[in-house]
Amino acid sequence: MAKTARIEVMDQNLAEALRNFLKAVLNREEISAVLAPRRLPMKNRVMPALITDPQQLDQADPLSPAFAVNSARLLSRLTRKPSGGQVAAVLRPCEIRAFVELVKLKQGRTDDVVIIGLDCLGAYSNRDYFRWATEPPEAATQKFSRAVLTGSGAAMDGVDLSPACKACESPTAEGADIAIGLFGVDTAKEIWVQARTAKGESLLGKLGFAEAPEPASRPKALEKLIAERIAYRDEMFQRTRAATETLEKLSTYLADCINCYNCRVACPVCYCRECVFVTDVFDHEPSQYLRWAEHRGAVKLPTDTLFYHLTRLAHMSTACVGCGQCSNACPNDLSLMELFRSVAHRTQAAFGYLAGRRIDEKPPLFEFRENEFPEVVGISRPSAG
Amino acid sequence: MKRRIGTAVVVGAGIAGIRAALDLAEYGYGVTLVDRAPHLGGILSQLDYQFPTDHCGMCRMLPLVQRDDASQHCLRRGLFHENIDIRLATEVTGIEGEPGKLRVTLKQQPLWVDPERCVGCGRCTPACPVEVSDAFNAGLTRRKAIYLPVPHSIPNAYVLDAAACTRCGACVQACPTDAIRMPEAERRKFHILVVDDELAVRDSLKEWLEAEGFSADMAGSGPEALDLLLAAPYHLMLLDIKMPGMDGVEVLDRAKQLSPELAVIMMTAYATVETAVGAMKIGAMDYLVKPFDVDSLIPKVVQVFQRIQAAEARQVETGAVLLCGGTAFYDPSSGKNPFGYGVERNVLTQIEFERLLSGTGPTAGRLTRLSDGRPVRRVAWIQCVGSRDVQTDADFCSNICCMVSVKEALLAKTRVEGDFEATIFYMDMRTFGKTFQRYRDVAEHQQGVRFIRSRPHSLVGDPASGGLALRWVDAAGACQAESFDMVVLAVGQRPAPVSAQLATQLGLPLNPWGFIEPEPFSMSRTRHPGIVIGGAFSGMKDIGEAVIQASAAAANISRVIHSAGGSLASEEPRLGGALPESLSREPPRILAVLCRCSRTADSRPPAEFFSRALRGDPAVAAVETIENLCTRDGREQLLTLVGKTNANRLLVGACLSYTYHRHLRELGPEAGLTASLVEAVDIAPWSDISGNDAAAGALVQLRSGVAKLKWVDPYPAPVIQVAPRALVVGGGIAGMTAALAIADHGYGVDLVEIGERLGGNLTWLRRTLEGHDVRALLEDTLTRVEKHPRILVHARSRVVQAHGEVGSFTTVIEGIENQVYHLKHGVAVLATGGTEAPAKEYAWGASPAVMTQSELERKLADGHLDAKGMEAVVMIQCVGSRQEPRNYCSRVCCAASLKQAFVLRELNPQLSVYVLYRDLMATGFMEAGFTRARQAGMIFIPYRLDRSPLVQPVDGGLTVTVEEPILQRMLRIDAQLVVLATGIVPVLPRELAEAYGAHLDADGFFQEADSKWRPVDSLKEGVFACGLALSPRSIPESIATAEAAAQRALRILGRERLATGKVVACVRHSLCSLCEQCIDACPYGARMLDADSERLLVNPAMCQGCGACAAVCPNNAAYLQGYPARQMLAMVDAAVGGAC
Repeated sequence: MAKTARIEVMDQNLAEALRNFLKAVLNREEISAVLAPRRLPMKNRVMPALITDPQQLDQADPLSPAFAVNSARLLSRLTRKPSGGQVAAVLRPCEIRAFVELVKLKQGRTDDVVIIGLDCLGAYSNRDYFRWATEPPEAATQKFSRAVLTGSGAAMDGVDLSPACKACESPTAEGADIAIGLFGVDTAKEIWVQARTAKGESLLGKLGFAEAPEPASRPKALEKLIAERIAYRDEMFQRTRAATETLEKLSTYLADCINCYNCRVACPVCYCRECVFVTDVFDHEPSQYLRWAEHRGAVKLPTDTLFYHLTRLAHMSTACVGCGQCSNACPNDLSLMELFRSVAHRTQAAFGYLAGRRIDEKPPLFEFRENEFPEVVGISRPSAG
Repeated sequence: MKRRIGTAVVVGAGIAGIRAALDLAEYGYGVTLVDRAPHLGGILSQLDYQFPTDHCGMCRMLPLVQRDDASQHCLRRGLFHENIDIRLATEVTGIEGEPGKLRVTLKQQPLWVDPERCVGCGRCTPACPVEVSDAFNAGLTRRKAIYLPVPHSIPNAYVLDAAACTRCGACVQACPTDAIRMPEAERRKFHILVVDDELAVRDSLKEWLEAEGFSADMAGSGPEALDLLLAAPYHLMLLDIKMPGMDGVEVLDRAKQLSPELAVIMMTAYATVETAVGAMKIGAMDYLVKPFDVDSLIPKVVQVFQRIQAAEARQVETGAVLLCGGTAFYDPSSGKNPFGYGVERNVLTQIEFERLLSGTGPTAGRLTRLSDGRPVRRVAWIQCVGSRDVQTDADFCSNICCMVSVKEALLAKTRVEGDFEATIFYMDMRTFGKTFQRYRDVAEHQQGVRFIRSRPHSLVGDPASGGLALRWVDAAGACQAESFDMVVLAVGQRPAPVSAQLATQLGLPLNPWGFIEPEPFSMSRTRHPGIVIGGAFSGMKDIGEAVIQASAAAANISRVIHSAGGSLASEEPRLGGALPESLSREPPRILAVLCRCSRTADSRPPAEFFSRALRGDPAVAAVETIENLCTRDGREQLLTLVGKTNANRLLVGACLSYTYHRHLRELGPEAGLTASLVEAVDIAPWSDISGNDAAAGALVQLRSGVAKLKWVDPYPAPVIQVAPRALVVGGGIAGMTAALAIADHGYGVDLVEIGERLGGNLTWLRRTLEGHDVRALLEDTLTRVEKHPRILVHARSRVVQAHGEVGSFTTVIEGIENQVYHLKHGVAVLATGGTEAPAKEYAWGASPAVMTQSELERKLADGHLDAKGMEAVVMIQCVGSRQEPRNYCSRVCCAASLKQAFVLRELNPQLSVYVLYRDLMATGFMEAGFTRARQAGMIFIPYRLDRSPLVQPVDGGLTVTVEEPILQRMLRIDAQLVVLATGIVPVLPRELAEAYGAHLDADGFFQEADSKWRPVDSLKEGVFACGLALSPRSIPESIATAEAAAQRALRILGRERLATGKVVACVRHSLCSLCEQCIDACPYGARMLDADSERLLVNPAMCQGCGACAAVCPNNAAYLQGYPARQMLAMVDAAVGGAC
């Protein structure tokens, strides 16, 4: 399959070429709306928007280093039940992966959505972005995208990509219906597009772009980028593990946590309607606090901090896609992404699972395998047929 | 629950006995479960692992509906059920009366240790100076005369081995609860008369007996003995056979006339053993072969003494009796003993090896040579020691030993690090169960177990290396020898010692080897309608078969009780546990009661310590101490205290908390507390393993108990309605049998048959190998089905749709002329049957002289076969069978070939018969047929799968070429008939099974919930299978599965409403995100998404409370009622302390 095409970039204006592409998509009769990052009309900020008016797409800014929320959660709300129309969703790779996890958790459906994924240029943390985004928005995005795509790097004006993006070894849109290739492509002249599913191929075919092979320079460029990311990631794993390898160290690591639970609100795969930590299960009896205090002479308040993070690791680490929104959301700058990714890397490896990789791959807890982890359960036996 | 007036007595509390007792109890009958041993579990108590799973899993026999009537903990440790009265260390001494109204006499052995007082502290054992060999470890270890019969029972009271006890009294001194009494005085009152013409014998016997504390008198001749018997009463007479003048047999005869109750043990020389056996027929109890020593005499004397000492015999009135009296084993040290058993320490029986692998065995599970403790690297298993052996009068197969050896070989491999070689010497590997062949293949091809087809002829120990040299002759006739570290003998079964006695007493026929003979086509019914047999008693069987036949036996028993009016209810059903409505809303007021006795007083801090610590929690209303709570006195004090303190929760801190559960259950109605509102924790100072000091350890236990009670959810269990009707799909012998068994209990049955008429495979079968008339069985069954007022037959009908769950299924069937019916039923039995697998091999279709077994059967039936004109017939076994993709044994084909061979021989006595086989599965007593066939000159030639025979049509006839392994040459047989045993394939459409929530296995058979422990159940409750749809089986075996399925169904139909278990899963809809993880996680299919209401629903009857849903649900929207998260967290907190 994998129909591929090229889109011409006029006047070296990459953003404009992308917007025109999105407009062409929205003009199709079967597409009711486009979900894409868009500049707010009232402030110089980029937030996801559901756009039905092609004119509004003039404000779409898919290359901006702003990443205020992971759109997977938003897309899941749009697709939980039939909406009566089809949405083209422009997502970062980590947003696609999170959406895939949510679909497996029955929190969204792929039926009424065409996912358009971009090679991800990365993003700044919210705080860095707010500091950095002072120039006119169009110029700022252009400066950023050129810097990244020409290889001079995203570090500029005292800000750099968020650690999550630096450690991201999956910057291409593997799970998209239509993937847009930027790395290793001469984006001054063209964009490379690839339909990765039958649905994507059907749509791309109707848009009438010229077929084109994958640019020769792309695989090498990606290989180099991913190698750098993996090196950063592995160093991060090592650092984080060293800082959290005992219960004491982990407590120290999380010492600044104030149980605000923002990290799970921001987490795209934390899908509970209401977190167990805000239910009556954790409404402790007053006498309980006294007993805790008596036990060691003092009890840290609020309680259940470590318990909360360990629980979230237990629940969500097999679904963690490494988007870094937890760190983004933390008011006290805890390095949560680093902790989650380090643990997730190992829990997912233990089950031979990779969050968001494939829609037809069952999450580990959905499957019962009788002869699993004999070293843990202490039973090993030859299988009888 | 609904308690019926009918009762049953189940003799033998092994697997079969427990299964049957539970089945009957679940239907509502009162059951008296009796065992001679002081513990439950029979042979299983000695086995830790079972094939094919190599786990235990016995707990899967526990009730699945109305679960709160029974204990829910490890079944090997103990059993409790509201309707079962368990009587251990008890023997049945008499059964009389009519079916439906039998009187069973039970005698309990004297309990020198009072189980009510024994707290299991174990102080008596080190005090005891006597050591004897330990039967639990199959004699591999030694134990004291006062001991624990099994290490794992709860409660686990000590037992005094009166035969070994020297009555020194040391244990009495050591016992802190005065639980032990000595049989000293009673022994002096026990009078023994020794009759022998030799003075030397009389003198030594008198000396031995008096040293043991018995009173003994001597008589030098028969007349002298009779005079003494006239003058004074005796309990026991030791009587010599060979005496001048009046011989022992005559003395016995006359003595029995004088005193019928007198116990007599004959003393005989080896030459007159036959006479002694004859004497037993006229009333002697036992015999001793001279010369004997004191160690063989005293146990027999003590046995008689114990029996006479037994508590007053009590009579139980009952409807029917199930005999699961267990089995004995062949003693390999008897006879020629070619394998040096009892001489070489590293030669073991299978049971002994099983103990060696056990964590509670002599080496704690390490596999080392018993002779020198060196590691075991090479083990040989020798099959058929005392089975399939005419020389030891065992012309039968013991059925399970092949699989036991494969399992032991695989288990042993996991126990040994590094090189290990397992070798199995066999005649035929009888892997006849559904999964057995694949299990063997894994052992052979993946795990490297060596299978050698040979019978070793001798074994010699090598003192230098400590090894054992085994010699055998291989297939080619060459002598082979190898050295092994250990040799395991697969010893055969022998009838349980009581078989002969019971058979005589009840007028039941025995088969030639001393096993009770069941009725034709039944595995469990006997000639006496009120007496049913099961378990190894009627022939050795693996767990799955034992369980099936036990349930079948229960069905047959239930039918007898029912027809005698025993199904009537004696009590109003008490459902869901009545609980004062107010209680659930009241704040918890916990009464904590600490038990104190002489043993705990010295090592425990004062009550105030606990009182202060526990009263810190506002939920604790009072903390009190009671002396000796385990006594009746203590329990009464406890009741008073509950009333006085007005507590609505009770926490008991004592030792061995398990022992209290039963008593606490009884507290419920009296104190207004249900079982869930009462908690017992173990605070005995010696049972703390946390490393804390005793006080801290006890406090942790008590605080956990408080936490549990505080958050306990006191709501009663949900209840569902049951439609009192069954659906049976398939009208073969299995379906008809199941329908009859259910309908005979008064429930309506819809019997759906796709074909024109009922009968299934029986319509083309005539006779069995044993000569039983299949047509008569079919005619009889058809008549009963057709005349039965409660069975509605839907012929030419098929199931088109089904939905629902246990208690309320709806099935849509399409009948004649597309007529559609909606059937409502509470249970479904799938008996869709099976058929002969199609033949593709061996020139079938190319020559009319090649036919399948069923084709031959039909030709024989209509007389179209000219057997007289034939010279030779070749039968080829395992055609397309026992190899992938049909890698299972079909179980019936070997018997069919033997039968057809005999039929052909009858028609043409000159006919040469060749049977080409891989492993001849002449299991059980069918072995005799195999022997008979060889005696009749039929030729059996084993072939290997990779060298299968070749069949070529040659002008009119056939030429069969096969490699003869002994001659090692190709053999050419010119045959006029080749019969192919293609085996059985199931006929169970996947859509049909899945419509009822059942599944198929890899071969298309019904997938049992558990092949051993729930062999006719689907994982989805209320759906059962039987007959060939379940697995390949003979007619009696199919009937057994049908009866078992019916019994399983009756458990459910027997109630108007079903109380589900208290621990069932629920959904908090406000928290539920509908991610459906719980649906995938639920192994019982009890959860579904209701699309209309957008809610997740749980079927409380199907839910088994396993908690898998609660584990996958991240925010507790799925939770287990009875295990609230707050309770769990509070308990963990109490145990570890401190928040994090």
